[in-house]
Amino acid sequence: MNGDALRRVMTVARREFLTTIRRRAFLFTVLGTPAYFAVVMLVTSAAEVRERREVLRELSAVGVVDSSGLFAQATREIRTQLRAENPFAQARGSRGLPDPRSLSGGGQAGTIEEFRASVRFYPGMAEAEAALRAREVDQVIVVPESYLEAGGVRRYARSSSLFSGTDGRAIGAWLARNLVRGRVDSALAARVARPVEGERLYNLGRGGAFELKDDRRQLVDIMLPLVFALLLGMCITIGGQYLLQGVAEEKESRILESLLCAISPGELMTGKLFGLGGAGLLLVGLWSAIGALTAGPMLATLGTSLPPWILLLAVAYFVLGYLFYGSMMIGIGAVTNNMREGQQFSVWITLGSFVPMIVFTSIVSRPNSALAVGLSLFPLTAPTSMVMRLSAPGAVVPAWQIGLSLLLLAAAMSLALIGSARVFRIGLLLYGKTPNLPEILRWARRGA
Amino acid sequence: MLEVRNVTKRYDDRAVVREVSFEVQAGEIFALLGPNGAGKTTLLRMITDIIRPDSGAILLEGRPVDGATRRAIAYLPEERGLYRRSKVVECLAYFGELKGLPRRAARAAAAELLARVELEAWAGKQVQALSKGMQQKLQLCTALIGAPRLLILDEPFTGLDPLNVRLFEGILHERRQAGATVLLSTHQMNKVEQVCDRALMMNRGHMVLHGTVREIRRRYADHAVVVRAEGVLGGVPGVRSVESVNGESRLMLEPGATADQVLRALLDRGVAIEAFAPAALPLEDIFVKVVREGIGLDHGQSGPPPAAEPTP
Repeated sequence: MNGDALRRVMTVARREFLTTIRRRAFLFTVLGTPAYFAVVMLVTSAAEVRERREVLRELSAVGVVDSSGLFAQATREIRTQLRAENPFAQARGSRGLPDPRSLSGGGQAGTIEEFRASVRFYPGMAEAEAALRAREVDQVIVVPESYLEAGGVRRYARSSSLFSGTDGRAIGAWLARNLVRGRVDSALAARVARPVEGERLYNLGRGGAFELKDDRRQLVDIMLPLVFALLLGMCITIGGQYLLQGVAEEKESRILESLLCAISPGELMTGKLFGLGGAGLLLVGLWSAIGALTAGPMLATLGTSLPPWILLLAVAYFVLGYLFYGSMMIGIGAVTNNMREGQQFSVWITLGSFVPMIVFTSIVSRPNSALAVGLSLFPLTAPTSMVMRLSAPGAVVPAWQIGLSLLLLAAAMSLALIGSARVFRIGLLLYGKTPNLPEILRWARRGA
Repeated sequence: MLEVRNVTKRYDDRAVVREVSFEVQAGEIFALLGPNGAGKTTLLRMITDIIRPDSGAILLEGRPVDGATRRAIAYLPEERGLYRRSKVVECLAYFGELKGLPRRAARAAAAELLARVELEAWAGKQVQALSKGMQQKLQLCTALIGAPRLLILDEPFTGLDPLNVRLFEGILHERRQAGATVLLSTHQMNKVEQVCDRALMMNRGHMVLHGTVREIRRRYADHAVVVRAEGVLGGVPGVRSVESVNGESRLMLEPGATADQVLRALLDRGVAIEAFAPAALPLEDIFVKVVREGIGLDHGQSGPPPAAEPTP
């Protein structure tokens, strides 16, 4: 590309970029999308904590029918502690050597709330059921005669919530503690009730050393690949939508033929890719800045195990992925008559970038499974799924897979660019009819 | 300035432009005529390098039209539009930049052009705020900005009132004086007669008429003269019949008689002549005659009947 052509490309890019970011819809997307996600997360997490608390608060009296006789000496009270954890609270660093002493109690910031429920014993099921129906107790536990050999505790409640595991765990701890009460010392009895309290799990990290698996750190490790891939996918998709919209609008307004005398279709297409890709990148940059300002302090404290080369690879996947999707969107914009018609076709391609989001847990938990490898090699899903694999906790992606994935994506991008430039050249001047797929493929192969 | 050599373009084995050749000289205003579906738009798109011919060559100032030479051309297509949400001056300056003007120069040229076409008060307004006629003027300005050497205008006067038509005719003459060449495609035959030096007419992809406007009109003239005179015109040697309307007489000549002989005979008879001219047909009548009678078509290879302009 010579200097004049480059200057024309940059003129188009500047106009597309400025026109896009000056739109009110752009500002709304910049601020509205993070605000929407923040509100949704806040509402759902607050609702969950509230629901757990409500379950324990409503458990004020429990009826017990003990046919085994094992709980004759049991305490008449169930005490439960609920830790209201704040994921944004200051946590101790977890990098470096795993020294158990320095980590005791580490990273468990939060307030402890205690709930108490009285325990009433009934001689038989009939009396207990009557008490339950009369709301004298909230739940009834029936311990069968063969409990020691076969277990089989039955629990009766008027209703159960989605978080019935919360009260179930509280009752389980009471059963465990009282099963050994009077038979072993009290400290041992307490430990039996909470055998994994203060557990620490160490995983082999990317650096070859064992690293402490911290709850909040784990959350960051799980969320980071998703957020990363989501940003990448949204950037590619939004940039692609801008391209589709831009071409469709120009086609609808019949301005293209005037432009094509001053600039070649290839230069016009490249300028649009640059300008609108820049607008998509700015959008994601602003989202990242908003994210860094809000969640940054927590991330800075916890640290992440993502090395810089993964970020560099993510940028490479972004560029190739954006050019791949963007070229296809431009081609679609050129062969359709308006935005609505274009979206009907583009939605199928856009969905491709979001397939990895649907199987996100599978990719992150098993980053070397056949599904994860397949998705990260297939060009439509490669950008997001490879970034997920690379940033998954403890994942080691073979270099050949990264190389092959980039090669396939680059090849697909080149084909899409060349084909779209040919389709763009013809499709721009085509009004009134939408060509069929064989026609489009013929144009992509042969050009004008 | 512009040389079109044996250019042919086919779509799906259907030739929409067949072996067309002509030249446009620097500084002339050249008309491209033809009925709908004749292949004019396809030819213009090939001249502007938007599409490529299947065979033949198009040269601009002796060089093939490509990315570099194309900058000398400005094209106002028949299907045209504007960025409706852009400001008027920005929209025009954008076209200037694409044609090679630096950003500031493009903005200055846009402001100057807007003033020339009496749109300066609308420079800061959005394009969609302009009336249809004003948008039409702005579209013409998008072709004029950047001082192109070859102006290709497809139906440039559509939607303009007579005052604005005169304004743009004046601008075209100014550009011509400055050395620009104009290729005009229009169905307004009176405009062709008024402003064009030469014309080419196409029908079904063929070139069916070519020459100066004067020559073409003469070629299709009846064997007659038009005379405005005082005196008796009947019985003059060489005159077959006389038709008089509103003081103007049409003298149909006998085969072999010439206008010179008839003029001399009239003067010898002492007829006071105010005006004497060979009877030329209006271009519009020639257009209708050529299309209806299929003049100039090679019927052995004639294509489909005229229809909408074929799409690629």
